Amino acid sequence: MSTDHFQQLVDQQYALLYRFALSLAKSEADAADLTQQTFFLWASKGDQLRDRSEARSWLFTTSYREFLGRRRHEVRFPKVELDDVREQEMSISPNVNVFDSTTVLQALRNVEELFRAPLTLFYLEQFSYQEIADILEVPIGTVMSRLSRGKA
Amino acid sequence: MDNREAKFVLNAYRPGGQDASDPRFADALEQARRDPVLEHWFNESIEFDTAMTGKLCAIAVPPDLRENILAGAKVSRPLRWSKPFVNWAIAAALISMAILGSLIWQETRPRHLAGWQNEALGVISSLVRQESSFDAQSHDAGELLAWLRANHAPAAEKLPPNLGRLESLGCRTFSWRGQPISVICFMRADGGLIHLVCTKAVDGEREDVPRFVQQGEWATATWRSGEMTYMLAFEGQTDQLRSYVL
Repeated sequence: MSTDHFQQLVDQQYALLYRFALSLAKSEADAADLTQQTFFLWASKGDQLRDRSEARSWLFTTSYREFLGRRRHEVRFPKVELDDVREQEMSISPNVNVFDSTTVLQALRNVEELFRAPLTLFYLEQFSYQEIADILEVPIGTVMSRLSRGKA
Repeated sequence: MDNREAKFVLNAYRPGGQDASDPRFADALEQARRDPVLEHWFNESIEFDTAMTGKLCAIAVPPDLRENILAGAKVSRPLRWSKPFVNWAIAAALISMAILGSLIWQETRPRHLAGWQNEALGVISSLVRQESSFDAQSHDAGELLAWLRANHAPAAEKLPPNLGRLESLGCRTFSWRGQPISVICFMRADGGLIHLVCTKAVDGEREDVPRFVQQGEWATATWRSGEMTYMLAFEGQTDQLRSYVL
């Protein structure tokens, strides 16, 4: 894969992927790290994907798997997080609209994890229920059920 | 389809209208058009989802994330080795594996004697017990070698140095499955006997390094040199044989 193609894919997907990661992860730093890791994996393994039109689904599937893997690791090896105040102090460029979005994000994070991933993918509006099913590797009926229960 | 089922399906309907032509939503959308209560819920749902989408998409992305991804991927990307180099590397790996496999085979193959060697030990035992006699007798190994050559029997091209210094007793020839074999018996310094068996090497046989096998009271060392295969044998331990072979 050429550098141009890679850069094009990053430009198209990195913001969406970051927002998806942010709904899953505990902090902005974790979300950014998850997003970067996903693209690094794409850089090293993306050549194996025959159908390039599936690159977007591949990225989100990989990101979700990576998140699940890290969560399993954290359950076994819990780590101490920097507190929230420290996190905010370290933030470089606070967004003026962050309050509303943060509230939405917080609301999403309060949703049980099982429903959070499909809800985020749905609200990002880029994904159909079929694509969400592919990304999360669950049947369509399960996606619809999780969306329905997650919204309730 | 009742309203409960319709709500279940419409919850997956994207607010941007991308799913308008998806047949899976057709019945539920039709139901919403027919039922004002459901339609009202659906409109509110769309409004809520649109607002959620807007808020989510407004979440700021770290300003340096894009550059970090591009820079990180550049150093993470696997090196693209040139094809000739990869081919050479594969060839080198295969050769190394073949050599290693050969060495492992040398070390792990069954430690037993071939048929002709067992036959030779039988002939030697018979000579030692004086149940049979030598075909030729001489205290000079050179003379025995000359006699063997003259009789078209296998004869050593060159004796191992430590063996050549010993006094010979005699030689005998025999055949095993049509294969001519000869034995020369020597007297060791301690009074014991040691026997050199010689036969024509079989094609493909590779025994440049002596292979030591202990079979009962017999210690043997077998190796190939030139066109001949040799077996040195005596009643004792293989460790004692090494000085005669090297």
